[in-house]
Amino acid sequence: MPAGHGLRSRTRDLFARGFRKKGTIHLSTYLRNYHVGDYVDIKVNGAVHKGMPHKFYHGRTGQVWNVTKRAIGVEMNKQVGNRIIKKRIHVRIEHVMPSRCTEEFKQRVKKNDQLKAEAKAKGVVISTKRQPLGPKPGFMVEGTTLETVTPIPYDVVNDLKGGY
Amino acid sequence: MECRVGFLGSTNQVPKNNMVGRTLGFLLFERLHSILHCLRYLLLAPAAHRGLAMVFVKAQKSRSYFKRFQVKFKRRRQGKTDYRARIRLINQDKNKYNTPKFRYVVRFTNKDITAQVISATIAGDIVLAAAYSHELPHYGLKVGLTNYAAAYCTGLLLARRVLKKLEMDDEYQGNVEATGEDYSVEPAESRRPFRALLDVGLLRTTTGNRVFGALKGALDGGLDIPHSEKRFAGFNKDGKSLDADVHRKYIYGGHVATYMNTLNEDEPEKYQTHFSEYIKAGVEPDSLEELYKKVHAAIRADPNPKKSEKQQPKEHKRYNLKKLTYDERKQKLIERLNALNAAAGANDDDSDEDDE
Repeated sequence: MPAGHGLRSRTRDLFARGFRKKGTIHLSTYLRNYHVGDYVDIKVNGAVHKGMPHKFYHGRTGQVWNVTKRAIGVEMNKQVGNRIIKKRIHVRIEHVMPSRCTEEFKQRVKKNDQLKAEAKAKGVVISTKRQPLGPKPGFMVEGTTLETVTPIPYDVVNDLKGGY
Repeated sequence: MECRVGFLGSTNQVPKNNMVGRTLGFLLFERLHSILHCLRYLLLAPAAHRGLAMVFVKAQKSRSYFKRFQVKFKRRRQGKTDYRARIRLINQDKNKYNTPKFRYVVRFTNKDITAQVISATIAGDIVLAAAYSHELPHYGLKVGLTNYAAAYCTGLLLARRVLKKLEMDDEYQGNVEATGEDYSVEPAESRRPFRALLDVGLLRTTTGNRVFGALKGALDGGLDIPHSEKRFAGFNKDGKSLDADVHRKYIYGGHVATYMNTLNEDEPEKYQTHFSEYIKAGVEPDSLEELYKKVHAAIRADPNPKKSEKQQPKEHKRYNLKKLTYDERKQKLIERLNALNAAAGANDDDSDEDDE
C-alpha cells in the first residue's frame, strides 16, 4: 500500500500530548484574551479535535486578524514555490498560545523611553542603540610555567611488551 | 537476634548496638534525607530487606510506576471540582473579551448552605457576593438551616445582595410573593437583568433537590438564571408539568410541617428527639409558613451582611502542623532512635546506648 498524504498524516508524534501532560486541559487556556494584532504561537493540542490547524502551522507564529466565539483568526507566512504568501487560518483557542516574541522588544522600548526621559531632564545626550559584543579585553597570562616537551627515542624492548 | 540491614545498596556501618528484628525491622543509617523514601519501601520491598523470614510480597508499585504516574489536578484529587463542567461554565466567547461570566455556585455541607456568585480569572476566581445559611438567624430563622426552605431563603438573600451591590435592586424586585410557579425576570428599561449560570458542583440533579430550592430563591430574588422547571420539587414526570402548589409547600417548609404533625401524632417521643431544636426555639408546625414569610420580608428589607462584633484574634489559630526544618527533623529522629534503643536495651538487658 502506498503512503497516504491525508490531513493528519505523519502527525503521530507531532500532535501527541506531552509526557505526563495528558487529560484535562488547564483552564487558563480558555481564560486568555486575544486582540487583533497580537502575536500568537500555534501549538496543536491533540486532545481537541475541532479547529485544529494543518500540521504545517504547528510551531508557527502569526498575528491575530479575527476573533470569533471560540476561535482566533491567525495570519502567517507560508512559502509556496518561489514566493511567500500570507495565509489566514482560523484556529480554536486550545491550539493557540500568546507569543513572547515581542516581549523583549517591548521591554526594551519601555526602558529606552525611560532612559531618554531621564537624559532629557538632565540635558545629557545618550544613545540607546544596542551594541554588539566586541572582542574580549586583553589580559596577561599569570601563574604559568614552561614545560619543554621533546620526543623520546623509540624503545624496542619495552614497547613490544611480550607479544611479537 | 541480630540483623544487619543494608538498604538499597548503600554502605552502612554495622550498628554498634544489638537490635531485635521486630515486625518491620528498624534501620539505623546515616543518610537521613532518605528516611521517608526508605520507610515507604519497607512495605513494598521484598522480604530480604526485612531481615526476617516472611511471606514473599511482590512489589506492586515499582519505581517506574511512580516515575510514570501522572497526578490529576489537585481539586480533582480532592474530589471537589468537575473540570468538564467547569470548562463549559467558565468559557467566555472570545469576541466578548474581558466581560466576566458569572456562575451561581450552590454548595451544601452537613450543617450549612453556601450560595455565591463567582467570576473566573487566571489568577483565581473572584466572588462577587456570598450568602450562607448560617446568616439566616439574623433574619429570624433559627432552625432547619439546611432544608429546602432554607435553601430558598439563602438564594433569595444572595440575589438581593448581588442586586444591591450593583444598584439594581429597585429595578428588579423579582417575585415578591413566592407562589412556586415558574418565574423568570422581565428585562427593565435601563439595564438588562443580572445573568448567572447555575453551578451545582458534583450533585446529582434529581427532581426536588435542595439546590433547585436555592435556584428558585435566586430567581424570585431577581437574577436571570437560565433554567427549566423540570427539576423543581413538585414537578410531575407523568404529566410533565410543575405543580405550583406542591412547590409552594416546599418553599414554605410545608413538607417539614407535615412530617412534624405526623410524627407528633404517631411517635411523640421520636418527635421530641428529632425536632428538639424546633421545640426549643418554639417553632410549631403550623407557624412555619408565617415564619418563612417573615424571613423573606426581612431579607428583602435589609440584605446587607451583618458585621460580627467579635474581634479577629491577633494570631490566627493553626489548623495544620508546622513544617519542621532539616535540623529539627534530624533531632527528632535521633531522639526517637534513642528511645527505641533504650526500650530494646531494657528488654534485652543490653544497654549500649548509642547517640548516632
